[in-house]
Amino acid sequence: MKNKIILDRNLQFVIKYNTVFIFLIMLVVSAIVSDVFFTSNNLFNLVRQVTPVGIISMGMLLVILTGGIDLSVGSIVAMVGVLCALFTQSMPLPLVIMASLACGLLVGSTSGYLVSVHKLAPFIATLALMSIVRGLGFIFSKGAPILVADKASSLTDFGSGNSFGIPNPALILFLVFAITAVLLKYNIFGRIIIAIGSNEEAVRLSGIRVSAYKFSVYAIAGGLSAVAGVITTARTAVGSPIMGIGMELDVIAAVVIGGASLSGGKGSAINTLLGVLILGMIGNIMNLINIPAYSQQVIKGLIIIFAVLLQRFQGNNN
Amino acid sequence: MSNRVELRNISKSFGGISALKNVTLKVMPGEIHALVGENGAGKSTLMKILSGACIKDTGRIFIDDVEVYIKNTYDSKKLGIGIIYQEFSLVPELSVAENVFLNQLGKAGIWMKWGNIRKEAEELIKKIGFSINPSSKAGDLSIAQQQIVEIVKALSEHVRVLILDEPSAVLGPQEIHKLFNTLERLKKEGVAIIYISHHLSEVFQIADRVTVLKDGISSESLPVSETDRNSIIRLMLGRSLDTMYPLRNSIIGEEVLRAVDIYLADKVKGVSFDLKSGEIVGIAGLVGSGRTETVRAIFAADKHKKGKIYMSGKEVQIRSPWEAVSIGIGMVPEDRKQHGVILSLSIKNNISLTDFKGIADHFGFIKAKKESNNANGLIDKLAIKTQNENQEVGDLSGGNQQKVSLAKWFNRDCKVIIIDEPTRGVDVGAKVEIYNLINELSHKGVAIMVISSETEELMGICDRILVMRNGQIKGELVKNEFSEEDILRMSIGAN
Repeated sequence: MKNKIILDRNLQFVIKYNTVFIFLIMLVVSAIVSDVFFTSNNLFNLVRQVTPVGIISMGMLLVILTGGIDLSVGSIVAMVGVLCALFTQSMPLPLVIMASLACGLLVGSTSGYLVSVHKLAPFIATLALMSIVRGLGFIFSKGAPILVADKASSLTDFGSGNSFGIPNPALILFLVFAITAVLLKYNIFGRIIIAIGSNEEAVRLSGIRVSAYKFSVYAIAGGLSAVAGVITTARTAVGSPIMGIGMELDVIAAVVIGGASLSGGKGSAINTLLGVLILGMIGNIMNLINIPAYSQQVIKGLIIIFAVLLQRFQGNNN
Repeated sequence: MSNRVELRNISKSFGGISALKNVTLKVMPGEIHALVGENGAGKSTLMKILSGACIKDTGRIFIDDVEVYIKNTYDSKKLGIGIIYQEFSLVPELSVAENVFLNQLGKAGIWMKWGNIRKEAEELIKKIGFSINPSSKAGDLSIAQQQIVEIVKALSEHVRVLILDEPSAVLGPQEIHKLFNTLERLKKEGVAIIYISHHLSEVFQIADRVTVLKDGISSESLPVSETDRNSIIRLMLGRSLDTMYPLRNSIIGEEVLRAVDIYLADKVKGVSFDLKSGEIVGIAGLVGSGRTETVRAIFAADKHKKGKIYMSGKEVQIRSPWEAVSIGIGMVPEDRKQHGVILSLSIKNNISLTDFKGIADHFGFIKAKKESNNANGLIDKLAIKTQNENQEVGDLSGGNQQKVSLAKWFNRDCKVIIIDEPTRGVDVGAKVEIYNLINELSHKGVAIMVISSETEELMGICDRILVMRNGQIKGELVKNEFSEEDILRMSIGAN
């Protein structure tokens, strides 16, 4: 009996920190099945791969915390990537970056406007924008990848370079993560976002402009998607309209693996980051041990189900 | 003659609060039996027990002198009990005919015989004197028409007992007339009808006998021909005021809020009132009289109101709760769990929602220490029983949850505080504490508006009471004129 209680308590602990445990298990498993996993080359590679998803996941986390969803993020990555490459042909670099980010913000604001002012279901509003923006990416690029102009070499240098021994894109991811984490934990903004996801009407009746906050999370998600788009273009020196297809699903999966509730009000930045890394590691390790791409998709799906079931236990225990 | 329905010594309590105490009710076949009582007297609970929506704690139920055990709505249907609730249970996307025969759709085999269903529904509707296209969608009908469909639905099931909960509330005079004709016909067919109503005039018009419920206790059943309006009103009232209420020492000052000709859809029809500093004004009225809708319109919780609002003599535009709060109005909503507090968040986080200015810096970063101190101050002030400020509101008792909902407005300097149902579902001890808190607020010069279904409560704490009926203010009483009887008369429109 006593053993059982202790076992229960340990189990509770595991369930509570399930994201951390899944992360640790993934690390151990990765180290066992492949001896190249823990090489700096591979780890850098892994970090570079997860960066776009990671950056967007912070915006998606905010959206999901309010009880919404944003399906347009992958399309924004592609459109902004294309535009960024196009802009380098005629604009100075600072302007290129600002204009690119503005485009992402604009798309996000459109979703936010539709959701907060016209009360469209987030799924529908962003589904429509996902299609529109993907189409625009193809129109702007005429369907072909756009090369970054030679004079913008500092952009591509930045994208493929390191600072302090860490890939630059990863530094940006870390910065975005840190800001999100601090905002969520210590700022009014985070407090209200979480409250909205818990009970929107109670927040509204407390005299808070719920629609302004809902608008802002979509704008931020759009802006961060643009950041991811610029980084991807900087890293590959190409803006392609087929970038980021299906990326929204990876981002949502990462947030969910990180323990966020799709009905809102529950989730954290650190767990989301772990979710991103878990998802990235699954892909990375399966590549290392040569699991075919089709099987990878199946395994990824199974792991998502497993992670969410674990959270269900957590919910029941509360 | 034997009884069609007999409810014997029925008791029911919800979480320690008893709603029905040894209630007995006997209804004969071919009788229309009126059930009256104030809001919360237990009428609906009693009927829910009969229809299986609610399970009794103790007591016995007999149908045609045979004891029956009703555990769910299916049981009661099999016994021939039909109920028409205040809130309708039609499927809005289905046609009238489908709704009427919803419970019987499978009976004629797996294929739908659309022609027959439509024809039968049309005949049933015609039979009771109405004409509604059986193919139209239930959701497209007017409220009155939906009510008719509900009745037809019950008739199609060949009920032996028909319960109507406030059926006339949504009907016009002509429709009520037709409804009464239908009931008379059913009565002749031997159906036992239980008619719940606030409107005593209807009781005298149609019922054979009447039973009064007061605080979950049933009166004797009186033949309508041997009683009068006043005796029934006396039975509906009851115990007198006691010392539950704090001493009012009102220092009533200048006008703070004035509302002129407020309209909201068809719920609020031209309401005007004023509210002075230090004053507590109550709104009495039956459920559905437009009380809650009026204050929600003022607070802009519901949009598209018409009318003018003045704060301290200056006209103001209130288009959202945010604007209402920023000019100094606070509202404790009627539905505590859905609107008043966020159950999954801590007491601290709930309280802070109304005012971040005092606890955060210019960039919106919250000073943890300051926030905790602020929350703890209010927890002490309102005597909220909790381990600490970080406890989830969902873990607190109803009374303490209500105090958190109040604490949110103690947290900022409001000029006007509207409190909708201050003590619903709150135990007596906490009630007294809440009355004292409201009193204390008013002594500080806050203008307070209280809505309550408990007339006694309003008489205990208010300086002035407005009585609403059908979306309008039908009467106003100042403290020395308070009489439960007058308020009840005004709210049910009896003169």
